[in-house]
Parts: sequence; structure tokens; C-alpha cells
Amino acid sequence: MSVQTEYDRMIEMEDNVGFDKYPLKDFDQIGKKDIRRLDGTEKASGRAEYTMDVQLPGMLYLKFLTSPYPHAEIKHMDTSRAEALPGVRGILRYDDPELPDVADLGGHGPTAIAPIPKVAHFEGEPTGAAVVADTEHIADEALRLIQVKWEQRPFLLNVEEALKPDAPLAHPEDFPDGNLEVEHVEGHGDVEKGFKEADRVLEFKATRRLHTYVSPERPCGVVRWNGDYPEFWLKHQRPHENKRAISSWFEHIPMNRIEMHMLYQGATFGGWTQFYWNQGPMYCAAVMAKRTGHPVKYVFDRRGDFYGGSMDEGDYYFKVGFNNDGRILAVEAKGHFANPQWEGFGPGTHFEDNTQIPNLNAPRMVIKVNKGPNTAVRCEHLPNTMAFTLVMDRVAAELGMDPIDVAIKNDGAKGHDMEWLTERKEEADFTPRDSLKECLEKGKAAVGWEDKWHPPGAGKLPNGKMHGIGFTWNHEWDDSCGSGEIAMRLERNDGTVSILGMRCDNGVNAETGYCQIAANELGMRMEDLFYRPHTDTGFFPMCPDSSTNTGVNGWAVRHCARLLKAKILEAATSPRAVTQRGMYPPLFPDMKPEDLDIKDSVIFVKADPSQKLSLADLVGPSAEAGPLSFHELYGAERHPFSVPIFAHSYQAQIGCYAGFRPKFCRQVHFMEVEIDPETGEIEVTHVVNVNDVGKVISPESCAGQQYGGTYMGVGRALFEEVVHDPATGVMLNGNLLDYKIATIEDCQTIDTHLVETQQGYGPYGATGIGEDIATVIPALLGPAVYNAIGEWIYEFPITPERVLKALGKI
Amino acid sequence: MEEQTSKYLCPYCSTKFEAFEDLKNHALTAHAGEPAPMPEGMIRLTINGDEYQIQVQPEWTLNYLIHDKLGLTSPKMFCDRGACGSCTVIMNERPILSCMTLAIECDGSTIETAEGIADAGHPLVEAYVKHHAMQCGYCTPGFITTAKALLDRNPDPKEEEIREALGGNLCRCGTYPQHPKAIMEAAEKLGHKEGAK
Repeated sequence: MSVQTEYDRMIEMEDNVGFDKYPLKDFDQIGKKDIRRLDGTEKASGRAEYTMDVQLPGMLYLKFLTSPYPHAEIKHMDTSRAEALPGVRGILRYDDPELPDVADLGGHGPTAIAPIPKVAHFEGEPTGAAVVADTEHIADEALRLIQVKWEQRPFLLNVEEALKPDAPLAHPEDFPDGNLEVEHVEGHGDVEKGFKEADRVLEFKATRRLHTYVSPERPCGVVRWNGDYPEFWLKHQRPHENKRAISSWFEHIPMNRIEMHMLYQGATFGGWTQFYWNQGPMYCAAVMAKRTGHPVKYVFDRRGDFYGGSMDEGDYYFKVGFNNDGRILAVEAKGHFANPQWEGFGPGTHFEDNTQIPNLNAPRMVIKVNKGPNTAVRCEHLPNTMAFTLVMDRVAAELGMDPIDVAIKNDGAKGHDMEWLTERKEEADFTPRDSLKECLEKGKAAVGWEDKWHPPGAGKLPNGKMHGIGFTWNHEWDDSCGSGEIAMRLERNDGTVSILGMRCDNGVNAETGYCQIAANELGMRMEDLFYRPHTDTGFFPMCPDSSTNTGVNGWAVRHCARLLKAKILEAATSPRAVTQRGMYPPLFPDMKPEDLDIKDSVIFVKADPSQKLSLADLVGPSAEAGPLSFHELYGAERHPFSVPIFAHSYQAQIGCYAGFRPKFCRQVHFMEVEIDPETGEIEVTHVVNVNDVGKVISPESCAGQQYGGTYMGVGRALFEEVVHDPATGVMLNGNLLDYKIATIEDCQTIDTHLVETQQGYGPYGATGIGEDIATVIPALLGPAVYNAIGEWIYEFPITPERVLKALGKI
Repeated sequence: MEEQTSKYLCPYCSTKFEAFEDLKNHALTAHAGEPAPMPEGMIRLTINGDEYQIQVQPEWTLNYLIHDKLGLTSPKMFCDRGACGSCTVIMNERPILSCMTLAIECDGSTIETAEGIADAGHPLVEAYVKHHAMQCGYCTPGFITTAKALLDRNPDPKEEEIREALGGNLCRCGTYPQHPKAIMEAAEKLGHKEGAK
């Protein structure tokens, strides 16, 4: 296996069309249990460092003035009293002559935006001024001393109001023609024809109220200038995009002069990186750090973190045509969404991905209102999972059918049946397996479906509560679009391997996973691998640790490990050096690379494993004037010598964003609830997750995404809702006392199960799991509640008040 | 009647004196051998076994003191207002929220943080690593301190008791199911250790 062959493979696999043509024979570290997570001790001891922990000598704090109104323009601003406050080191105003009208401030790629706007389009928007002071306390004090004359404008808080013909404009600067930014269309076939052919047609509307991500570490950053060169500490998911944007600031900073640190991140769940104002604070901090000669840190307060929501907020209108046997003939799913920052998906995509429904029409309206921007919050598929679960389960309920039978009847892809899907599996070189059925087999047994599923409202318990059980299913997804770079170096002295890639840790234990893949591919012991937590190595994995962890970076690691192994074996069989005095013979003379292999970090001759050499002995010591020079001088070789061994690799793929790519792995979930009909209180007593992840890299990390996503999903389903005052447009519950997320006591037993059909587009047939469960679980509460009380509640979250309303008690 | 203010005040006992010499004589006789009095705002703390004498401002929270001033990064600011448990430290054997506690009120207290619990080799830390009772890790030190305080007062907690004890600690990644497992394992190890004695 030559190095050139390996490079050829990378090119060949650019979009994974041919899947994995070079499968691994033995899974040793991959899929193994009880592998110690690399970040464990650091995190458990509290010594893991996050950007919010960073303190530098002489550091100042930056805070923004925020708009008290949902829509208002600054007519006049007096900052003189704030400037005079002792401890204030500078105030950056929107009309500062040095501030450009627009700068590249992120989004999906650098986007030209005003660093400090003059007009606020939502209450709480950073607007008008940024204060830099010795302490956060002084900065807060200074903000109170700024006098602003605001001109208030009419505002809108909900999508239906915004669509009315006489509605005021929510965002007249960028959308002067109306509040409907754009309407996306998705679908196939002819729904009207489908409705006509169907035995039955039903229509209903559902609503998802605004919710948000609540990242434990708040949005923050630090910047320092070292002479002409800036140094950044970032809390973001896409450092590569940040660096690209930063380089465009200050009339272009060369990329090689920007130093970036990505410490551990107190989770981001998508979100912030995609907000148009996400880099505004960093830009202002950079200006003020330059101006004051001090490092500057910005930290949003907890309320500030609430001004970014999930892009499933809005109203959903469904019309479904289906036959009496459970086969769905047509789905119309219209989504009216508030403030999505980018196209995203939904609400029709999962019908395309998972079903043979022949007719689909799923228009998606992007509507502007005067609330914070909404974006992917673990994750952008939320509109889809909501639409998919409600439609599937509602059809089953209408027919009195087992929802599992409805699932099996409609499983397919892009309007085609399972036979068609099997052909696609074969085309992609997979060995076809029926993922849904395999998941169902495990899931039904785990939850006891046959015994527990009952007619709606028939599950009265001895304690007076109503028992309900719900089921949903979906495909397993990862947004495997993008490119990832990884490098590996065989260390001198001990022959361990450092994986080099910019950290962007969100907690999914990715770094350990990369080491497992590399160890397995290289034939090394797990303890000999380490993911270097370098700040900016220059190698950016794609969205590391979020959407495309296994799907893209897993490939890059695998390619790189194979390249490194090829180089190691070449080095072991090649002359180590040629000098004036002659040639230093190979460590394995008269051998070819293919005669050797590596196991447990030891190179051995395949035909005679007693001939072996540890990697530590292969690499020899570092520097020390060079073992070769020693030999040249004294005539004896004190240490063995080999060439430096380093490999660099990448993976680039289009993933699911260009056209349709069939997904073959499925997931199923069950939820049991107990509802108190007197108080409306819902208790989630049991959840079963079964995920076909294709191939497990780390069983514990997969399970972590299952139970972790379940808790997040349960909180979203039961109580997560950002409330705005309709009279003033002011957010009313931007804190964790009034906005509840799930605690340990909000969900009882969670059973997690994994299926491995090896039909994913990641390495070894793996597919992602991190986004899925938190996204699928919220809507599952709908059918569970219906099964308990016999009434559908279409307003999420499903609060006790909404339960009592459905029961006609209030 | 206008109150007369005394010129000199004994820093030990606040007795008033008109002449400096009188104060000096008083201090040398009445307070002979006593350690120097503490200036206002000076507090003494024992943190993870180390003794500190620190001048604090009245508005400083204990979290600000420990995290920002002393550089112990484990008490984390998450919710910002006593709603999440991430800033929990153990003070005088009780888990408390360091963001809601004024440093100046902690004079004479003994405090443990996650760093100290880890350095003491408490089995909780290893059990947390083994059971993946962390993901992003931001809230983890707050769980470790809460769990340590629980084990100190209840060496063999049942799952229900653990869930109740951790009810005030938020974890956005949802690592919750792993905590009772880790804590019960640590409890078992501690039991064995004590049994061996």
C-alpha cells in the first residue's frame, strides 16, 4: 500500500458514493467499551479550562448597551457621563468614525454586518454602544449612565400577525417589501390527486412555541494584541469560519498572524455560530483591545444568551390523505416559521427521507418578527421531527391502528418503497438490512409494547393517573457536509502518536473517538494515541464535535492513520539515511512494507512475528545533535535513526445538502407517561431509545447522546418556552428560574439500545447520533399524551395548563 | 446633644481613648500576646486544606473570590443567580451556592472545591470519569461537590436519595442517569476503604 494509493482513496471517497471499499477486518479499539475518556479527569476535577475562565493580566471587560424596545432606532445618544466614570477605559459608539459600516461577522460564512447597529429589531439586541471597563460591575454602571433617545417603532411577535396585509414591517431595513422573507418549496407528486384517491383525509394545525439552547457557558470571548498580531480565545463551533472572518478585519490580517485558542466549550448545541451578531462582540473587543492596549473579554449575561432561539418556532398546517390500511397517499405540511436565520430543513424533508408517500407538498415560509434570531439548536431538523411524528401517529390514531404497523407500511424513501431502497443500498455497496425492523425488534421488547399499548384513555392507573405510551421513528442523520483536516505525528523518543487538529470540544467525547479510530487503523495501543489539544494547529476538522464529527472527521482520521501507517512501514523497510560514509541500512532489511504489520505498537514480520521492533525503537531520540552526526564523528551509532514520520489528511463531502441522498439507518423511540387528570401534570416515566448508528465507535458516547438527548427533549416537550410580553415585546423569562430545563428528576428510566447495520455514510458504515434524540423526543410527547388522555394537544410545550384545557377542565 | 467622637479606638476591642499613649498602654497590657487584629474586609478561609488570609470587597461573592481571584476554576458560573448548582462548593460540610454567598460573610470557613476533592484522591472523580458522568463538563464540578457533600453525610445513599440531592444541579447535556451510578460506585469504594481500616 503506497502513500499515493492512500491519497487516491481520499479523492475516490469524496462523497462516499462507493461507501467503504476497504473495510477493516478486525475491530479492536473501535466499538470497545470502557475506554477512558481523554477529558475525564480534567473535567471532573474542575481543572478543564473554558473561555469564561480566561483571565489575562490587565484584562478589561466589554459590555453592550441593549435595546429596551423590540423595535426602535437611536435618534440621539449621550455617553459623556459614562465616559467620566472612573474605571471606564473606553466606549465604542455606533457612530464611531473608525467603525466600518459593515464588517464580516459570521453567520454561515462571513457576512457583512454593522458591528454595532443603530436600530434594534428585538428587545435585548446589542445596539448603540459597547463599554470597556476595569470590571464587569463598572461596565454595567457605565451602561446605566448612557442616555439614549429612542424612536420606537411598531413591532410584531408572531408569524400569523406578521403575514396580515396591513402588518407593520418587522425589519424594514433589510426586508422593506414585507415580513415574508422567502418561501421554500419541497415535495414531489401531486397532493391534490393523492387526497382524491385517499380513503380518508384529515387536517390539523400545530404550534411550537419559542425555545432556546441554554448553553451552560455563556457566549464569550477574549482578544489580545501582541504587537500587530491578534490572539483570540473563542467559544464557537466553527473556528475555521471565525478565523476567515477575523482575517478580513482591520484591512486584512494575514491568516498566519492570527492566533486562536479553542478551549473546552460549555456546550453550544449549534446556535451562536450562525447568528449574524455572533462575532460583533469579538469585533468590538478587538477594536477596543487595540485602542486601549489591554486584553478585552466579553461575556453575555444569562439573559443575553436567551435572545437566540430554535428555528422550529411557528405554526404548522397539515393535511393528510391516507387509506384504511394505513398507507399514506399525500401529505401537505405547511410551516410558518419565525426568524430562521437560514434555510434549514422542514417540515417535509423527513417524509422524503423515510417514506414511500407518493405525494408531498411542504412549503416553508420564513417570516420576520421582532424577536431574537432563530437558528439550528440541536437541531435544524426539529420542524421535520415534529411534522413526521404528528402526522404518522395521528394517522394511526384515526384508524385505530398500531402506529408501528403504520411505520412499517410507509417506510421507504422519496416516495419509493423498500424494494427501491434496497436497490439503493446495493448501489452504495452496502449489504442491505432492514434497519427499521431491526430497531423495532429491540425497542418493542425493551418497552413491552405488546402488553403496554392500549386504546387512548384506557390506561387508568390505581394511583388515579392516566398511563400513556407513544411511539415514533425516523432515520438516523448527520449533516455530513463539509471538509475536515487532520494531521498525525509519530513522536520521537517513545513512538507515541499525536493527532493534530483544532479542538472544538462540546462534550461528545470525540477526541477519544478519533484516537480509537487511529489506534485501530495503526495497530497501536490506545494509550499511545493522544488528540493534541493544540489551540491553532492549522488543521481544522469540520465543525468538530458537532454535526459532522464521525461523518467527516472520522473519515479524515481514518485516512490519516492509514497514511501514517504506510509511512511507518516504508520507513522500517527503507534505508534510514545516506551520508558521505555510506548507507544506513533499513531496520528490516530485504523486506517490503507489505511484509510487515503493526500490533500493540510493535512492528513485526508477518511471516515470522518473532522478528519485531517497537515503534519507540523505530523513531529514536529527538535532536541530541542527531544520532547520525554522532556516528559520523565517532564511528558508532549510539541510537537508531529514522526519518521524521508525519501524515496529513482530509475528507471533503457534500453530504445531505446537495440533492437527495437516501438514508438507510433508522431509529425508534418509545415514551411512557403518567398524567394526573386533576392537575394536568405529566410525568415521563420511561423512555426507550433504539438507534441504528451503523457502526459504534464508542458505545458509552452513543449512549450519552441517547439519554442526554432524551433529557433535553423531555424538557423541551414539557416546559421549555420563552415568553414575550405581547404589550411591550419584552422577554419575560430570560433566566433559569423562570425558564425551566430538565433536571435529574424530570425523567425516570431511560433504556438505550444500539443497532449496527453498517449502512451509514461515515467510516465503517457509521452515521451520526448527536443531533437526533434531542430532536426526535419532543414531539413524541404528543402521541404519549394522546394515548393517556385520549385527546391530541398540538401546542408545544405540553404544559399542565394545556392538558387541563384539552380535558375541558379549564 | 452632639456626640463626642473619640480620637483613638482600640483595634482589638473598640475601647475609646483620648490620647494615643493611653491606647498604646492599653493595647500592650490588655491585649499582650494576642495576634495582630484583622483590618476590615480581611477574612480567613481554609480552602482545600490551604489557609488563606484575603482582603475582600463587600460586594464580592464567594464565587468571584475563589474563581476569579484565587484562580480555582471549578466553581462555574452557569445560570448567574442560584438556579443551577454549577458553582456549588462545600462550606463547613454543607453544599452551598458560591454565586449567592458573599465572601465577606465566610470568615473562618472551611471550603472544599472539586480540585481539592480530586487532589485528595476521592473515588468520586474516578467513578465520574468511568461512567461518563460528564459531557461538555461545565457543570460537572458542581455535581462533584454536591455528591461529595451527600456522601459525607450519607455514606450509602439510595438512588432516590441521590436524585433528590442532585435535583438542584442542572446539566444541559443530560448526563443525569450516570450520576447515581458513579456516586453509588464511589460510595462502595469508600465503604471498602473504611472497612479495611
